[in-house]
Amino acid sequence: MSYKIPMGPYHPALEEPYKLDLICEGETVCDAKLHIGFNFRGIEHLAETRNYIQVTALMERVCGICSNIHTLTLCQAMEQLAGQAPPPRAKYIRVIMAELERLHSHVLWAGIASKLMGFKTMFMTCFEIREKVMDVLAAISGNRVNYSMNRIGGVNRDIQDPQAILAMINQLESEMMHAVIPIFTTSSTARSRCAGIGVLNEEKAISCGVVGPTARASGLPQDIRRAAPYAAYPELEFNVPVESAGDVRARLLVRALEIIESISILRQALEKLPPGEIDTGDDKVKFITGTATSRVEAPRGEVMYSVSWKEGSRNPSRVHVRTPTYVNMPAVRWMVQGARLADTPLIQASIDPCYSCTDR
Amino acid sequence: MSLIESLPHKLGSSVPWMEKGGVLWLDPGPLTVRDLCAEMNAARARFITITTYQLPGTEGFRLEYHWDIEGQLLGFPFKLEGNSIDSIYDMCEAADWIEREIHEEYAIEFTGREYEPLLLRAGDTPGVNLREEVKK
Repeated sequence: MSYKIPMGPYHPALEEPYKLDLICEGETVCDAKLHIGFNFRGIEHLAETRNYIQVTALMERVCGICSNIHTLTLCQAMEQLAGQAPPPRAKYIRVIMAELERLHSHVLWAGIASKLMGFKTMFMTCFEIREKVMDVLAAISGNRVNYSMNRIGGVNRDIQDPQAILAMINQLESEMMHAVIPIFTTSSTARSRCAGIGVLNEEKAISCGVVGPTARASGLPQDIRRAAPYAAYPELEFNVPVESAGDVRARLLVRALEIIESISILRQALEKLPPGEIDTGDDKVKFITGTATSRVEAPRGEVMYSVSWKEGSRNPSRVHVRTPTYVNMPAVRWMVQGARLADTPLIQASIDPCYSCTDR
Repeated sequence: MSLIESLPHKLGSSVPWMEKGGVLWLDPGPLTVRDLCAEMNAARARFITITTYQLPGTEGFRLEYHWDIEGQLLGFPFKLEGNSIDSIYDMCEAADWIEREIHEEYAIEFTGREYEPLLLRAGDTPGVNLREEVKK
């Protein structure tokens, strides 16, 4: 006999409100239905009532973890419509902020995953390291969450002392290489808890159109930083970690390896940081009529913004946001089928879901 | 000839791609959205999203379908005279949520599919225009 177990919308295993209706037979999950929308704020519609300065601040609030990515993607789209290209130094600062945000997001996720594995000590360690990443972000931007770094034509704040930031990165790398990476890549606790569960095979990953670490853990080598490079990424060397197992452990490994790559990118960007201006200096921004699209590789995968403007208008006529969780989350239905009920919190968390982004 | 260069011919289009705003655009002409989806599937393109535009007055809607091939974003605009268009959900699983969202927000009917609620606006009637509500 099958029975339905509702998980959420408010549940200790969920970071944010959403609902999974799990159809079970005994302890085995046969199917799942997902319900979102508990964080719907109508932000796309609200954006149509804001000018180009206000809309940047508004879209930064789409997500509390990858707030910088949203303004970066929006500004890149608006720059196409305004005919502005950010100077080289601004492009490097954008990369530095994006990679710090990836570090922050991956370490935060590692902490939550550890808690769901029952590995509380690791949770504490990850959150301690996360604080240090936030210290670096605050040292650059003055803020811990919404950084207000991006603007049309560049960035709002310069990195005055790259060597000081580099020293902080070195310290972070040391702690991650000693504490986080070895445990996630080699510990038997992590392996026994994560291996073979929540499998999303390559065929299903293609069919669902999943992105980011979720796709890369299912054998798809897609990364917008490599496929359609933006900012200063074309000038930086990095690997795109790919695993083929498609299970929770593969997602864990991909993120662990991405932490190492992010640190490498940060080091390169800080060492190569070119001199010069951080914005175009154009105070008056004029938009042409049209639609521009931008895509960026956020910590959870590809973010896409479509922005439409009419010449002479103060506000955009349309802002459409496609976030990574929006395409990754439907795949959870296939990941949990055949899983043990007790594994479902960890499986749904393994895509690093963000419902603020998804619901907008 | 690359896969992307050969696509207009495969899709029966006499005009080439037009690059604009970071997207390669192609007018699908008489092609239905399901024909297009079948070609995109055959090309192993990755579905990205559908963007909806409500046109002024009684002009209806324009839906822009986006796929990715080898890192290149492709765009195909479809003008809706009424408020319905064929669903591609049965051919492209990734289109499920965005079709449901557009149905809830704009009351556009994707024919040939059933909807489960996303609960984006629980308790509301599908298609309530938020722009008009903001003006109030």
